[in-house]
Amino acid sequence: MKLLKKLALGLSLFALITSAAKADDTVKVGVLHSLSGTMAISETSLRDILLFTFDEINAAGGVLGKKIEPVVVDGASDWPTFAEKAEQLLAQDKVAVTFGCWTSVSRKFVLPIYEKYDGLLFYPVQYEGEEMSPNIFYTAEAVNQQAIPAVDYLLKEGYEKFYLIGTDYVYPQTTNLVLFEYLQSKGIPVENIGGGLRRDASGEVISAGKYTPFSHTDYQQIVAEIKAFAASGDACVINTINGDSNVPFFKEIAASGLTADDCPIVSYSLSEDEFRSLPTKDLVGHLGCWTYFMSLDTPANKKFVSNFQKWLKKDAPSYVQKEGRVTCSPMVLSYNGVYLWKAAVEKAGTFDPDEVIEALWSGVSFDGPGGTVKTQPNHHLTKNVYIGETLEDGQFEILESFNNVYGEPFLKGTFLTEDS
Amino acid sequence: MNVFDSKLETRGFIVTMIVLLFAIPMMNAFFPENSFFHISSFQLSLWGKYVTYAILAMSLNVLWGYTGMLCLCQSLFFALGAYAFGMYLVLHIGIDDVYNTPLPVFMDFQGYTELPWYWAPFEYAPFAVVASLAIPGLVAFVFGTLIFRSRIRGVYFSIITQALTYALMLFFFKNNLELFGQSYILFGGNNGLNDFKEIFRANINSAATQRWLFIASVVLMLSVYLLIAWVLKTKFGKVQQAIRDSENRIRFSGYSTSTYKLLIFTACAMIAGAAGALYVPQVGGINANEMTPAKSLDVVVWVAFGGRGTKFGPILGAVVVSLLKSFFLRAAPDSWLIILGGIFIFTVLFMPNGLVGLPGQLKPWLNRIRGNKPLVSEEASSPSVP
Amino acid sequence: MKKALFILAVFVSSAFGEVDNEATRDVLERLALAGKSEQTGVLAELAQLGDPFIKEFVDAWRVGEVFSYEISDTETIVLQRVSENYRRLSNDEVIEIPNTESDKVSKIRPSRSLRRELKKITDTIDLASPDVGTRMDAALKLGLSQRLEYMESLQSKFEAESNARAKAAFEEAINIIILANHQSPEELNQAVQRLGELKSLPGRDQISGIQTKAVEEGNSELASICSTALRQIDNRQRTIERWGNLVRGLSLGSVLLMVAFGLAITFGLMGIINMAHGEFIAIGGYTCYVMQNIFASSFGEQSAAYQWFFWVSLPICFLVAGGIGYGLEKGLFRFLYKRPLESLLATWGLSMVMQQLFRLKFGAANVQVNTPDILIGNFDFWGIALSYTRVFVVAFAGFVVVMTWLLLTKTNLGLYIRAVMQNRNMASSLGIPVSRVNSLTFAFGCGLAALAGAALSQIGNVGPSMGQTYIVDSFMVVVVGGVGNLLGAGISALGIGTVDQFLQPTFGPVMGKIIVFLMIILFLQWKPGGLFPTKSRSMDD
Repeated sequence: MKLLKKLALGLSLFALITSAAKADDTVKVGVLHSLSGTMAISETSLRDILLFTFDEINAAGGVLGKKIEPVVVDGASDWPTFAEKAEQLLAQDKVAVTFGCWTSVSRKFVLPIYEKYDGLLFYPVQYEGEEMSPNIFYTAEAVNQQAIPAVDYLLKEGYEKFYLIGTDYVYPQTTNLVLFEYLQSKGIPVENIGGGLRRDASGEVISAGKYTPFSHTDYQQIVAEIKAFAASGDACVINTINGDSNVPFFKEIAASGLTADDCPIVSYSLSEDEFRSLPTKDLVGHLGCWTYFMSLDTPANKKFVSNFQKWLKKDAPSYVQKEGRVTCSPMVLSYNGVYLWKAAVEKAGTFDPDEVIEALWSGVSFDGPGGTVKTQPNHHLTKNVYIGETLEDGQFEILESFNNVYGEPFLKGTFLTEDS
Repeated sequence: MNVFDSKLETRGFIVTMIVLLFAIPMMNAFFPENSFFHISSFQLSLWGKYVTYAILAMSLNVLWGYTGMLCLCQSLFFALGAYAFGMYLVLHIGIDDVYNTPLPVFMDFQGYTELPWYWAPFEYAPFAVVASLAIPGLVAFVFGTLIFRSRIRGVYFSIITQALTYALMLFFFKNNLELFGQSYILFGGNNGLNDFKEIFRANINSAATQRWLFIASVVLMLSVYLLIAWVLKTKFGKVQQAIRDSENRIRFSGYSTSTYKLLIFTACAMIAGAAGALYVPQVGGINANEMTPAKSLDVVVWVAFGGRGTKFGPILGAVVVSLLKSFFLRAAPDSWLIILGGIFIFTVLFMPNGLVGLPGQLKPWLNRIRGNKPLVSEEASSPSVP
Repeated sequence: MKKALFILAVFVSSAFGEVDNEATRDVLERLALAGKSEQTGVLAELAQLGDPFIKEFVDAWRVGEVFSYEISDTETIVLQRVSENYRRLSNDEVIEIPNTESDKVSKIRPSRSLRRELKKITDTIDLASPDVGTRMDAALKLGLSQRLEYMESLQSKFEAESNARAKAAFEEAINIIILANHQSPEELNQAVQRLGELKSLPGRDQISGIQTKAVEEGNSELASICSTALRQIDNRQRTIERWGNLVRGLSLGSVLLMVAFGLAITFGLMGIINMAHGEFIAIGGYTCYVMQNIFASSFGEQSAAYQWFFWVSLPICFLVAGGIGYGLEKGLFRFLYKRPLESLLATWGLSMVMQQLFRLKFGAANVQVNTPDILIGNFDFWGIALSYTRVFVVAFAGFVVVMTWLLLTKTNLGLYIRAVMQNRNMASSLGIPVSRVNSLTFAFGCGLAALAGAALSQIGNVGPSMGQTYIVDSFMVVVVGGVGNLLGAGISALGIGTVDQFLQPTFGPVMGKIIVFLMIILFLQWKPGGLFPTKSRSMDD
């Protein structure tokens, strides 16, 4: 018994000392991404870039003098796990901020938790909009910072027929709904919008597009349809297929003989990261639209890319993939998110989420690799938008850029006024 | 008739009842946050979730451990119950501030203006509660009739149940159903149902509600345990176990095994559905991910790890595996799959009776080490530890 | 005058056996180096030439195979990379670039607008292509643009054309142009009628639009001509769709067959439910990836040897997976024969471990496996298109089936396998080395899975969870076919594939799949043991 008592005393003393020591010079920051399961394909890169960013900030002195201590948890592509881990991060670790989530499902599951604990989450992935939580900052592209500029570009190039195809979930459905209204407001007739129309109970057309489930692999029929649709020569495809279904889709397109000059495809979920696994020679000339491209020729970007490569070689932990790494928009938006948080904390002078949120509201900006980004009161960012064309090495050549586009998540119904 | 097999079991049950039903909720309610004895709401809802998992595991155990049917779609029934109750919860979120309608947000997104007829009844709590039992039960009943009638069993049965859960998963992932030129909204599609605010007119996120949900889950678990213990001692239970041991023999003895199997299958589906209904308010959402074949396999792993064919095994298995997974997700985010996978392989190869059977398995070896008794005699170590 | 000299030069150079398209090459070189303002002029020159080499060059230009080289301070020339060498564009001579000069070589790419202009030129060139299919495609493309300027060249090509199918395509194209540029109502009526007779699918949309307008204007004659034409075209459409579905069903069925075959063997012949079957498929895919990298680093991506990486990977996949399977059988599965349900659990654990190992070794992202050049392209017959890669999968599936059948019926090992499957104990008593047979059979099944993975790498993803996509389908195929029966597995794979493709156009991909599953469940009502149930006297089998 005596031994036990001594042990208990010793342990608690030890815990006290270490926790006291910790409390003084580090700040805990949560990283909540899927490192296994279907979403690991995309989200592991975000974990990597976040670790790089934390190291970079720590090397420069940390935030308010404290070093960032990351708490990395695996959401395992399972939404209840995300909810549980988020709550653990907030309730037990008491993290000052979390950088995480990719799919809308994961975000929707953790949203009530962040609101309950009054925490702060930075969400870096392009999504369907129509949301604004007081505890989440969306550093990602809103529909009007991705879908609409790309369509504008295509309209300008003279394309008159648009085939909509996407994965069957909220982001493509909502994007296509918004685009459907938008195209009509620009004078494109309904027959020129392909993929299949959806009608409500009264027979009115409410949206268009062809939808396939996640991990769908058989695109033979659909590509045959697209080929027929594109026969007239002035058609293009708006592609919101998410994830690995893009590989069989593009392989089928390549096999059918359709080239980007016959019928360009603009994809919203394909960045340089996904191109590592795609047959890029077949994708030459297809389009992408993001708020960052790795090929951006600015000093800020060049420095960022080279620093990331250096970190990979020297300081990255062993489980980080070191070969063939690229940088892409979601990664840069994560990076920007961390620096925006840092700037807000410094502006507010504290780590308290409420005050940091207020600072973010008042407008904080950061000169990121993709250009300057600035926070808005509606929790989104003003940033640059670039339209690029795929090159055979998986990079993009920038065709057009729009500076300082204001992020607007609530777009549905806003285009109807022009016609009805 | 005494429900319990041994004094140990009786005592264990009563202690569990006291601890879970009284002690823990009181520690959550009455101790201040910084006290050593306080159990946070987060921990409580986490344990509440584990309790519903335990109920799910028990339902599978009845099917597999006591009737010999390896069902690979038990999570499907769990999810159906969760969806049914989730539909009620999602209809009580209130007026949405962006669209100004009482409709769930995903319906607004897609341009629907009124609630479809198949959603409307879920507004009423009694209907939703009954539906969370009835819908899985109905699916199980229809499916079971088709399957058991043609005497599909063993491995075929398992694979067919896997097909069922896969097909329904695909269905629930859809946003809309296109029939005859018209589009019908489904159940939230990929995002599922979430962002709940109210349950039975109480705030769903308040500590008090979470406490009551925890208590309700425990009550259900204890009741199911009693039910199983009781049934095992009745004639029905004996026939059930006979089906597991040799179906043909019991059939030739005159019992209509397909009726028994159908009844058990439906009942277990309903239990799983009830567990699902308690799961969804504690987790805060449901989506078709819960219907993937992998989730049903998880349940099988819990039962196997804990001890198949025992009363306490599935509970132990569900809780221990979930704890292990939760721990390793943080401690070793890059290798937790390897660790857990390794544990399963180990269990299958070396622990055929699961955790519960471990003492029995180890007893002869321990005796040998202690030099007490020879290896062979004490082989009465049957896995009947409750 | 310039033109005359230039033609003379061409004539002279060709007479001397030099590069015969020197003129074209010269213009192309100027185009590649031209600034934006000069491009239009050079393009006009190019349009006059009509040389098929233009298409070849433009294709290379698009994919980054063209470079500019500052050979001296005053001169910059254009290089084209062919295989491993840089060839000077103007005379097709191989040029060695010394290392010191490598910074003077830079890639040049055509801009989007330039590519579109070039497309017009290459489309017209395609009209004279030696390949019939290309001619037809080009004719229809120009026809659908409905521009009067193409009429002349289409007309002349139509008259000169000897191939019947191509002639029909040209006529279609001409008539489609007439639809938008007709001079009299009779001309329009005639054009519509002719298109109906030709059963022109590309023209359908136009005719339907004309019909609507005719109805509005009250032009009943035109309207009725249109409806006849539409009827003819729709009939053709339906036939094509039916055949297309059949062909696509065959293609999908062969994919299912490939993934399910290995499972049929391990499950059927050995009673092991191998939930890690999908991971063996992934082993095949990853082996191809590794071989691809090895070949790329040893031989270089442009070399001819590199094209062989895929064919070499096939036997290697089989051996690697077979080896791993053999080891696993000896180490793990040997203990699970009596307990099929437990094998499910253990293999599920194995599947988790293997997936994570893939993630740790190759990364969580999917990896890219290239298609060898010989498989790029597609068959296009009567409107149905099937890519070469899919044709390869069909052929490969057939090959695998034949090899397996030969193995099982013509070899001693096959005899042992069948004996062990029918009655293990009796076979053992007869002196058959049962445990070795088991190991080899399992290895064989895993090897087949890897071959499936290699084939799949050509049409889909290669990643850590690529196996999960197919695991449920594989089990379905095996169960429907009758556990243990390879012929059954084959028929059920093709059947399921075809049914799925026929349902897809009406119900969409998701509902189609769901209906297929429900149909399987109903099918098993009728035939609980599958198509070819194992016949045995024992009650419990």
